[in-house]
Amino acid sequence: MQETLLRIKEVSKHFGGVWAVSGVSLTIKSGSIWGLIGPNGSGKTTLFNTVAGLHRPDAGDIYFNGTRINNLNPHQIYTLGLVNTFQIPRLFPRLSVLDNMLVAARGHQGDKFFNNLFLRKSWQAQEGELAEKAMEILELLELDHLASSPAGELSGGQRKLLEIGRGVMASPTLLLLDEPAAGVNPKLARRIFERIEDLREKKGLSYFIIEHRLELLFDFASWVYVMDKGRVVVEGRPAEVAENPTFYQVYLGE
Amino acid sequence: MDPLIYVLDLVVFIGIFSIVSLSLNLEFGFTGLANFGKVAFFLVGAYTYALLSKAGLPFYLCLIAGASTSAIIGFLVSLPTLKLREDYLAIVVLTFGEVLRLILKSERWLAGGVWGIAVSPAIPIAGASARVDTLINVGLVYFCLVICFVVVQLTTNSPYGRVIRAIREDELAAETLGKDRAKYRGQVLALGSAIAGIAGGLYAQYIRFIDPYMFMPMLTFTVWIMVILGGPANNWGALLGAVLVMLFDRGTNMAKDYLTLPIDPINLQYILFGVLIIAVLLYRPQGLLKESRIKTKAIEMIRHARNAPKDKRS
Repeated sequence: MQETLLRIKEVSKHFGGVWAVSGVSLTIKSGSIWGLIGPNGSGKTTLFNTVAGLHRPDAGDIYFNGTRINNLNPHQIYTLGLVNTFQIPRLFPRLSVLDNMLVAARGHQGDKFFNNLFLRKSWQAQEGELAEKAMEILELLELDHLASSPAGELSGGQRKLLEIGRGVMASPTLLLLDEPAAGVNPKLARRIFERIEDLREKKGLSYFIIEHRLELLFDFASWVYVMDKGRVVVEGRPAEVAENPTFYQVYLGE
Repeated sequence: MDPLIYVLDLVVFIGIFSIVSLSLNLEFGFTGLANFGKVAFFLVGAYTYALLSKAGLPFYLCLIAGASTSAIIGFLVSLPTLKLREDYLAIVVLTFGEVLRLILKSERWLAGGVWGIAVSPAIPIAGASARVDTLINVGLVYFCLVICFVVVQLTTNSPYGRVIRAIREDELAAETLGKDRAKYRGQVLALGSAIAGIAGGLYAQYIRFIDPYMFMPMLTFTVWIMVILGGPANNWGALLGAVLVMLFDRGTNMAKDYLTLPIDPINLQYILFGVLIIAVLLYRPQGLLKESRIKTKAIEMIRHARNAPKDKRS
């Protein structure tokens, strides 16, 4: 039985006179991969950033697991289990790859000021477990040999992978991925999607993914929303969307 | 003058400014908070110590009270700026330090105004010679320095240190990964100010007299040079910077007695400080020592596990 995770109701967001998102309503349920596609500038990333608390919506409501999250800060939204990643990776360049992963870890006792100073035993064991987990994820992303290099030395594609890795490390209920396969070679892109599918099955993770590589997204997603000019214009199963004339018109320009 | 006292005096000053340098390194080097009002928290520590020791409190309580007051004020001053970008913090604390100094200068009832206030030494020994007196201060100051160093080292070389460094690198990304940046910044400013407050108290009881002119904004920038020169985000670098800058400061002070210059020697010192900071930023922007890596047991174990097979192959 799929539960509703994220419910977006009539959400709008404008920058100056431009309505980046206008009256979008959609629902994301647990246990699947949900796709979001649309031409450049159609408001996909703005929608993600609004959901993640980086922007406040100008109208409408956003519910996650039944909690209204309109006015929450990003760290509070993270705490609820909804984690956002960035289209252009925002790593911590002078920290090592492994440290980048560990910053994302959920519930690390050593992150708290007093625990860190006075309960060192308690977090050291936890740190060991988290580091193991981080290394597992890094292995899957083929970044494990770079674990102690500064993140600033990674190539563009590797940065992208680390950004996804941090998202997974945060053990979210719902992970927002903004173009995870952009700038990555086709073979690795498919591997990323296979990996995403793997984690979905094993850990019950759910995803909401923006992606321009339709051949990948349509293979893995169970439901796709198409946005154009700030609105959702088409939605449905990938096979249905692929047949839809409006989808062709706005996205492929045919 | 007794040359031994001169050396011991220098050692005490290096100790006191090492503590201040450590605290700025925690705020700027590790967390990226541009605290241009460091002197304000040094001043709060010094005046709290002076007023309380005059009221008859023992020296350790005066030091703790100075640290606490400074921590509370550090936290309060930062509140309006915590949610803004860090440049605003720099402007607010810079102004705060100057305002506080001017209030102390004009409100004579509070702490003597321009006349200053006499402070009794922390550990007075009747009939002790100047040498013994200075030695006691060396002991007291370095005892405090060791405690501060250990606390700062434990704070920065740990998961907590990882989070504050992440906030320095990209605060929005850190926030998205569940780290409440306002909370972390507030904590770091409170701890940094507390440490600066301890240094202020030590300074007041060593000099035995404080007035508002001792806390000019230039003092903040001297501490900045220590951190930038030694190497931000490296606690040993903060100590090294403090040693080098204090030696430089004393060196130019001494040189002015032997040189006849067409300009005021005090100004010459400021000019040299300026040249020094530009040279460091141009030729070694990372400072003398590199940023220290986070070494927790778990990370070390993973590094060893990874390196072991490679070593065998080679």
